[in-house]
Amino acid sequence: MRMKSILLSGVLAATANFAAAHCHNDVPVKTISNAFPAYEIMTAAMQACGNVESELDKDHRLKIVDAFSANPSLYTMTSLTNSTSVPMIDADLLRPLDDLVAAHGGGLNKNQFIRIDGKIMAIAAFANTQHLMYREDILNDLGIAVPATWDEYIAAGEQIQAAGVVDYPIGHYTKDGWNLAFVFVNHYLGEGGEFFNADWTPSINNEKGLAVLERMAKLATLMDPEYLVSDTTFVTKQMQQGKIAMANLWASRAGAVNDPDESSVSGKVVMAAGLRGSERIASTIWWDGWAVAKNISDEEAEAAFKLIVASMTEEIVMENNDDAIWLAPGFVPGDAAKGAFATAAGDAPPYPMNKYIGSMHGALGSGLAAFMTGDKDAATTLADIEAAYVSDAKEKGLL
Amino acid sequence: MKRKTFLLFVGPSVFMMVLFIAAPLLSVLWQSFHVTQPVYERVEVETCTPGLLGSVCETSLKTRPILDESGKILTETAFVGFQSYRNVLEPEKLRAALKAGSWHEIMNIRFWSALRFTLVFTVLTLPLVLGTGFLIALAVNNTLQRIKGPVIFVSLLPFIITPVIGALSIRWLFIGDGILTAGLEWWLQKDIAMFAQAWTIELMIYIYRVWHVAPFAFVVFYAGLQTVNKDAVEAAIIDGATRWQRLRYVIVPHLMPLVIFLTLIHLMDAYRVFEEIVGFSASAHVISLQWLTYEFLLQDGTGARAISRASASAILTMIGIAVLLGPPLRRVWREQGRGGTLV
Amino acid sequence: MSNPALRQPVGLKILSNGFLGFWCFVAAFPILWIGFMSFKTPFDAFDSNPFRVILGPHTRETIGGLSFADIVIGVAVAWFLVRQAIRWLPGKVEEHSPSGNATLGWLIGGSVYALGTLLIFVVALPAALSVINPVIGPLGANIVGLTTEHYEAVWIDRGFTRNFANSMIVTTGVVTVSLTVGTLAGYGLARSDSLIAFWLLVAALVFRALPHSVLVSGYLPYFITSAEWLAPVFGKAAPTLYGKPWAIIAVLVAINQPFTIWMLRSFFLNIPRELDEAARVDGCSHLGAFRRVIVPVMWPGVITTGLFSFLLAYNDFLVTSLLLDAQNMTMVPAIANMFNRETTASDEVQAIAAAVSITAPLFFLVLVFQRQIVAGLTAGAVKG
Repeated sequence: MRMKSILLSGVLAATANFAAAHCHNDVPVKTISNAFPAYEIMTAAMQACGNVESELDKDHRLKIVDAFSANPSLYTMTSLTNSTSVPMIDADLLRPLDDLVAAHGGGLNKNQFIRIDGKIMAIAAFANTQHLMYREDILNDLGIAVPATWDEYIAAGEQIQAAGVVDYPIGHYTKDGWNLAFVFVNHYLGEGGEFFNADWTPSINNEKGLAVLERMAKLATLMDPEYLVSDTTFVTKQMQQGKIAMANLWASRAGAVNDPDESSVSGKVVMAAGLRGSERIASTIWWDGWAVAKNISDEEAEAAFKLIVASMTEEIVMENNDDAIWLAPGFVPGDAAKGAFATAAGDAPPYPMNKYIGSMHGALGSGLAAFMTGDKDAATTLADIEAAYVSDAKEKGLL
Repeated sequence: MKRKTFLLFVGPSVFMMVLFIAAPLLSVLWQSFHVTQPVYERVEVETCTPGLLGSVCETSLKTRPILDESGKILTETAFVGFQSYRNVLEPEKLRAALKAGSWHEIMNIRFWSALRFTLVFTVLTLPLVLGTGFLIALAVNNTLQRIKGPVIFVSLLPFIITPVIGALSIRWLFIGDGILTAGLEWWLQKDIAMFAQAWTIELMIYIYRVWHVAPFAFVVFYAGLQTVNKDAVEAAIIDGATRWQRLRYVIVPHLMPLVIFLTLIHLMDAYRVFEEIVGFSASAHVISLQWLTYEFLLQDGTGARAISRASASAILTMIGIAVLLGPPLRRVWREQGRGGTLV
Repeated sequence: MSNPALRQPVGLKILSNGFLGFWCFVAAFPILWIGFMSFKTPFDAFDSNPFRVILGPHTRETIGGLSFADIVIGVAVAWFLVRQAIRWLPGKVEEHSPSGNATLGWLIGGSVYALGTLLIFVVALPAALSVINPVIGPLGANIVGLTTEHYEAVWIDRGFTRNFANSMIVTTGVVTVSLTVGTLAGYGLARSDSLIAFWLLVAALVFRALPHSVLVSGYLPYFITSAEWLAPVFGKAAPTLYGKPWAIIAVLVAINQPFTIWMLRSFFLNIPRELDEAARVDGCSHLGAFRRVIVPVMWPGVITTGLFSFLLAYNDFLVTSLLLDAQNMTMVPAIANMFNRETTASDEVQAIAAAVSITAPLFFLVLVFQRQIVAGLTAGAVKG
């Protein structure tokens, strides 16, 4: 049950649940991490071992670079993901974990390690991606086959809208800023597009970019007109309240749409692979995990690593099986994880780990809305975004 | 008061303001004319990341900052003159848009569209806040003595409520099928989406700001009404002044310094409008100047900030406020000269 | 009003009171509404039918609710308590507080009263009504759905009490320091005709106009690395400013100084100079004159200014969210964090319950200090 896992974040509940865990920690450890259910579960498990102070903060990425540059570092360890790992690795703020993995990491899966030039810099705990979620009852009633590509998806949406089952058949995280840019990034990769030329100058103002914008505009006609404020939570709620029939959504929400405590359509939503563009699946694979600070003593690093291992034991993974797509041993993919595995089994690429995409993502985030609201045409939008990227990358010394 | 005693009195206050406001302000000014960048090198890096079905490894040419002996990123700082300001203002685009005579194109340049909104917001809400506040003050002053207390209490609520929460509470009423949107739909018999187009969002932002600050204007005006000279009012009555004339010639002049006080405060606060843009997720349709600054300051996915442009944009905002404050401040200056005491 | 010319025509009365009624509705509605939402399950809270939000049928069926008797008795008790707060409390406070120290008396009296109210509503009333309800038949049957589970989740499971305590530390600190520093400066400025004083006031005005986001992100790196750059001065004892409540207090005091000194200066301008000059003739220094003559008469102005400081510190989001760590987080950023998580609908109702919780102390504050706000402004700022 989802409510239960949320309550687990409370220290009290955590102690009660994990008191039996075979871990004991004497060295004071401070963690900072993103704040969603899987991290709440893991930090609660760490706290059960004793002497752990945890900070769960969605905006942790604004702090970690500065905090880990301090000597001694303000935190012993942090959560990391594809994009947040880049500045940390660049500034050499993470401690290579090879020796600790050899000593204490026997129970981890080999594909949990993030290796840079052969050195283990972080331990992934779970993966995340975006894939199709659809209302099985609606699609069956109308005799629509499960869409596999974005074009089929749009066609299915039009059919559902024409049948009048719901006003707006599609939900999508197209909130202005990071989300909207992320939609573009995924679609552009799905078209087989390359964001940069060999010298890192931008190259999105091309046929593929235009095709993506055209598709985004078409999708918008099938979505609630307030789509520019629609983030992942908004889409989840639309799905839970039965207002939409299909969504391409983060795998981490697969549990919530079928949660009987919150959803009026629980049990009717089925997961399927991410939708294909003309070249490949237009989704990206993300990893989420932990890394240990460099500017701390070996003793603290060892304690931190042991806690990381203790936060993803088989018992914990099994107990919270549906709250994430765990990479650690013990995970049994259930219905909720079906879509994510189908996406990964396809050809979805990992979200790129470099600085240029960070700058491009930012430029897309502030530039795309003008196209969606109709203030600019597609070509002008893309040209302006390229210009914004160049000016940003120049200021940051990247070009 | 001797200078030494004076400095003793204001010392602690000045010290704090210098440390936490003046010093950062100077550093912002400095940064707006300089650019600090890490020194990069190109290296071949092998990266292995976890996939669901096994590790994914790739070797690629990466741009990596060079570290110095102490392990810090090596940076170099260069004086760039007004380059950052140019990057914010985009004068070439503006010139082209002006030449084409297209208002629409000017509004497609982020700074100028932010300036447009900020100015309209500031200028439009000012009379609304003053007017609403004044009307409430008059109405409360005229109402029954017994209910004055509760009415003042309720009137102050929008002002004291935490802004983040106030904005959210109004947002919940309208977003999606929030009950007010649902009510409007029922009344007008058509589908309404308040967050789907610029003008409705702008309207909500104006309404929210007036709702939020009118109580402050109210309480100041109400306090002012308590000090209206009773003799002057009675004299006016004896002279046969109508209710309107008494308002126009006795009460309003008495409250004039308060109008200036409120105007000053409102101009400063409204020109920095920011919370509303966040609270109403308005950034796709309208942005304000402080939002623009914030956007530059926000780290991109990889932890980099555009500090120089953010500084330039902040300085431009300050200049804007200074220009707006000019006229009311000139008035203060004159009154100071006459020995009057404003505020 | 005895003067017939001051008596109002009926039309004007209706118009003015009608407008007032409308305004009060507009002012209170959003706040009342989140109050309703916070007591309902997600199903009811986000329903687009307002009656379902108010009555909460899903909540009533799944969890429980209030009966007619509950509502009548609850409202009656609430009405009684508010009346007592207005009529009886001021007298008691004045009777018991040490002379000249009414503020402290009010603080203690107010908190005790608030605590008592809370106890009555959370413990005493539910206990009493659980006995009454089964006896009175249909009047005791639930008609309105209500659940307190979100409040329990917020305050007990999520440890909101710690955020509350942190908020209290920060606000108390800000109000105390801000007023101490600001009163001195305000007095100095009010009694000086020098050019420095004038330019200081203009500078303060400019400082007040500064966009905060720039300031705050400028602090962050220095706050985090302070142990390093303070080391030459403090040696090993050099503190890390990041996450420390007192560092936040200093920042908020500084940000609030411009407004505070302008405000207090105008209060002091209205205290006749002759007063402290007379004291100086009696051989007091400036500071002595300030302490003996000014301090006793300055309270209305100081309380009003203090309230504005309180609001700023209590409501601040930008500074506290960026510069405090989880252990010292105040309530506003803690709530924002709740919204920012990968939220589910029940998370959101919890956040709404937290939002209502954070508003409640402000209610009490205004209830208690309402008269002082008006009196303070009347005494100072508004005398042109």
